[in-house]
Amino acid sequence: MNGYQGKILKVDLSARTTREEPLDEAVARKYVGGVGFGVRWLYDALQPGDDPLSPKAPLIFATGPLASINFLGSTGISVTAKSPLLGLIGDSDMRGRMGSSLKGCGYDALVIVGKAESPVYLRITEGSCQILEGSHLWGKDIRETQELIQADPENKTLLVASIGVAGERLVKYATICCELQFFAGRTGTGAVMGSKNLKAIVLGGKLETPVSNPGKVNELTRAITSQIQTDGTCDTLSKYGTWNTTGPANLNGILPTKNFQATAFSEIDKINGDAMLGTIYAKKRTCPGCAIGSRRVVAGESPYSLSPDFAGPQYETVAAMGSLLLNGNPYAIAKANELCNLYGIDTISAGVTIAFAMECFERGVLTEQELGFKLSWGDPAGIFRMIEMISLREGLGDLLAEGVKKASAKIGKGSEQWAMHVKGMEVPMHDPRGKKGMGLAYATSFKGADHESSIHDEAFQRENVFPELGLTAAMGRKQFEGKAALVKTLQEYWGVMADVVTICKFPMCPPRPLKPGPLVELLNAVTGWEFTVQDFVTTGERIFNLARMFNLREGMARKDDLLPSRFEEVLKEGGSAGESYPGRELAKLLDEYYGLRGWSPEGIPTQETLRRLGLS
Amino acid sequence: MAITVRFSSAFQDLTHGKKTFLVDGDRLSKVLDDLEGQVPGLKTNLLNGEGKIHLAYHVILIRGHTQELCQDLDCRIEDGDELVIAPIISGG
Repeated sequence: MNGYQGKILKVDLSARTTREEPLDEAVARKYVGGVGFGVRWLYDALQPGDDPLSPKAPLIFATGPLASINFLGSTGISVTAKSPLLGLIGDSDMRGRMGSSLKGCGYDALVIVGKAESPVYLRITEGSCQILEGSHLWGKDIRETQELIQADPENKTLLVASIGVAGERLVKYATICCELQFFAGRTGTGAVMGSKNLKAIVLGGKLETPVSNPGKVNELTRAITSQIQTDGTCDTLSKYGTWNTTGPANLNGILPTKNFQATAFSEIDKINGDAMLGTIYAKKRTCPGCAIGSRRVVAGESPYSLSPDFAGPQYETVAAMGSLLLNGNPYAIAKANELCNLYGIDTISAGVTIAFAMECFERGVLTEQELGFKLSWGDPAGIFRMIEMISLREGLGDLLAEGVKKASAKIGKGSEQWAMHVKGMEVPMHDPRGKKGMGLAYATSFKGADHESSIHDEAFQRENVFPELGLTAAMGRKQFEGKAALVKTLQEYWGVMADVVTICKFPMCPPRPLKPGPLVELLNAVTGWEFTVQDFVTTGERIFNLARMFNLREGMARKDDLLPSRFEEVLKEGGSAGESYPGRELAKLLDEYYGLRGWSPEGIPTQETLRRLGLS
Repeated sequence: MAITVRFSSAFQDLTHGKKTFLVDGDRLSKVLDDLEGQVPGLKTNLLNGEGKIHLAYHVILIRGHTQELCQDLDCRIEDGDELVIAPIISGG
């Protein structure tokens, strides 16, 4: 099977056994890899209501067929599990080299079940997997964990993916970190790993994966790389990283500010791209096989020491630890990012949870006595303390570690109104009142509010953006019309399929050069298949529907496809002044969207739809 | 006519560090001509090979409390308008 090693590594930590299973070629053709494999196997392994943190629940690391060709971050991996944060499908795509390393060991995927009696770590090498004693790693942050593991000569050259203390303590939005740089950030897969007493996975191998047409792969990757370097569409991303987004987001009135009470930040000049370059920026870093280089390393001594060992904050974190909390201090943003990285919690969920707590405090719903200190908007010390309390589950941090949905349900007193989540996942840093498609994407994504489930509205304001996908009409970002069809297609092509072939989503965003045609050609050159763009999109549709079926089986229904009520409030200022996201408009969009998907008015895929997608 | 053109932070290389320009012109094409006079080469960088607004950028017209996108070089500009040139946001 070109593009595949043809083997899955299965580990049962309860039984302390490991075994290889063949990868079914029919499954590979139908689900391709990454989150496609993850959703399929999760659906088959679990029953409705199973506890995501039970030994039975699988933690799935799955590569895509492009993982071995080292192009635009395709060496990464998809991590899928039932999310402890949502109680639904959870997945997070992690860049870095874990995917290519797993392939190099001879496996396309790693599926872990069970729970070790005491902390362990896995060492995976070519054709081998050992379950090793890991008690000495428990309680260590991700840097200490990597250092301790790599101090063993047998591990020195191997790659380390681990959880921090937050994962051990089952914080519902705990992360998995690889090489100190790359994170499975969202949906709490780190807590699933912690629930298994699995501290780390250490791996490395050099086995080659067969490729159908290496010459064609070279030709395509060279052409796309050349275009990235010359056509200008990646220039600002290359220079500023995702910090290029902060200023325009503020201008457009979509920058979440003060827990989504506003969308323009008065201190934007302190945290925009230029401000970051002039303060915390140390150097740029690229993912394997990438010509863009959007990652940023930060460093500094004062007012906070900032380690260049970690990935610097990206746009989402700049907003989540910045404008969302009224924090205009770039050094404090970078320090908060570093703390989240060390403890191993998602910066988006952490920022939204801290914003929730700040608003509770401001409104007198939480008191200084309950919290142990005075929590004020924009106070770096308070932000750092909250990150620590959540990660260690100290005091009120124990409740906030459950996420804003559960925390607000427990706190009550109307706090549900400012708990910003969809299906339990905290809303990322794009206010949907200024980009209506994003709102529909949040409401319908199988993992709640996910900004990487659909390409953003701003990219479709001109004509003929994606003719290969039938997306030719220009649509204003604030308009509702046309967004149902737009979001449906983008969820399948970009939201799902990028995580199936495990490639970076940035170069796939128009007007950037990785277009549908060349991407599918690349997949075919690796696998020897004859996929069309339509086959590719239909695969995404199949996986999206299967994830929907998983969630419906868990009791999710149309009533859960909604947005926080705060988005019904009209924005008073900024580039989206006058905009809101009324519930009746969302309901109209959902009716149209369900119809396009072949779902009933209740949001359930019809038998005909399931048959068409091979899911009946 | 007095029109203000602001460049978002991501364009400082192109504008030699200058963020704000005062220009004249009743169409976007004329505004770009004026900018070219102030910073030679700037117009070329903002257009693609077909002479249209480069796909990587948005030209946003702000008039009072309204804000809209300039779709082409014929976009009508009025006295007191503000134009902001920014990179497209397409991810997070």
